[in-house]
Amino acid sequence: MAKAWNVPGLLQDATFRDAAGRVVVTRWREMMSFRDGTLAGEDIEQLHAMRVSSRRLRAAMDAFAGAFPGKSFRTHLRVVKEITDTLGAARDLDVAVDGLEAVVRDFADIERPGIEALVAEYRTHRAAEATHIAALFTRLDEEHFGQRFERWVARHTGVDPGGLQTQPEDH
Amino acid sequence: MAKPRPITGLDPDRRLRPNARRILAVRIDEVWAFAPFVTHPGNVRELHDMRIACKRLRYLLEIFEIAFPADLGSFIDQIKDLQDLLGDIHDRDVQVPMLHDHLERLAERDAAAARELMRQTGPGGRMSQARREAAFERFRGQLDDAGTLSERPGIEALLTRRTRERDELYDRFLVEWRRLTTERFRRRLERALGV
Repeated sequence: MAKAWNVPGLLQDATFRDAAGRVVVTRWREMMSFRDGTLAGEDIEQLHAMRVSSRRLRAAMDAFAGAFPGKSFRTHLRVVKEITDTLGAARDLDVAVDGLEAVVRDFADIERPGIEALVAEYRTHRAAEATHIAALFTRLDEEHFGQRFERWVARHTGVDPGGLQTQPEDH
Repeated sequence: MAKPRPITGLDPDRRLRPNARRILAVRIDEVWAFAPFVTHPGNVRELHDMRIACKRLRYLLEIFEIAFPADLGSFIDQIKDLQDLLGDIHDRDVQVPMLHDHLERLAERDAAAARELMRQTGPGGRMSQARREAAFERFRGQLDDAGTLSERPGIEALLTRRTRERDELYDRFLVEWRRLTTERFRRRLERALGV
């Protein structure tokens, strides 16, 4: 599983508001760094990493909810939840297929056709989920949600997203 | 899924630590609120909700770790282990009913295939024993092709395996939960946070 990115400029004696801005923007960018890999669909770990990051972002938003006005917070959280849920349906199927393929050889010859048929069924559902994911990201792009999200965080925390040099932990 | 309880008394312009303490105290309480329910393996919903509560607590500890002088790493690891076990149990709790549903769908498909074959090839009038047996064999062959008989053994075996795994995972969870209780994990965590 991908490690959480370090949060630049987060200090032990930070105010709650300043920490909110730095953590939420970092987690947002961490999540979106897996967008292209998720859309490519060649490595199931990319989608998994994006989903884990979306969970971290949600946890951060829940933690720092007190730094944001309730109404706009709920609007932004709803979109993040939509991302988690959309990725979740695909991830569940990836896990199911992976889990069945890992054990199918343990079963007797007479038992394998049933398991293989189940894998084929899950793969069909998974292909449908890929189109849902692509549609969601297209919509977010059209709405410029990423830019709006970072501006919203900046407005309520005073943290300048432009000055936040976020990057993966191993950089 | 149980919603997180709202946190009152936060002041965003104060330092991180006193605010984090308030939040963490509530989230710790949410995990241990499930304690009376988790010693029964049939409490599927409570076990799932406890997993979500563990996940919330773990992520918050990771976020707020920087604000505390104590090393929270081992607390985070132990909560993650508990959350992973509960997650594996939840996977089986989702998969087992899905496999039952799948078997039911296979049975419905078989019944529909049998009805259709009966309509197409059903014997009309009287037949000799030999002809009846030959017709039955032909019917069974066609049903194998049109139906799902070849799929059922695999799904039934998988169902047995997942059910056994669920029992084993629950036993491991219970051992782990009792260990945390014996070692006063909650009290030690609260002390480390100054809650």
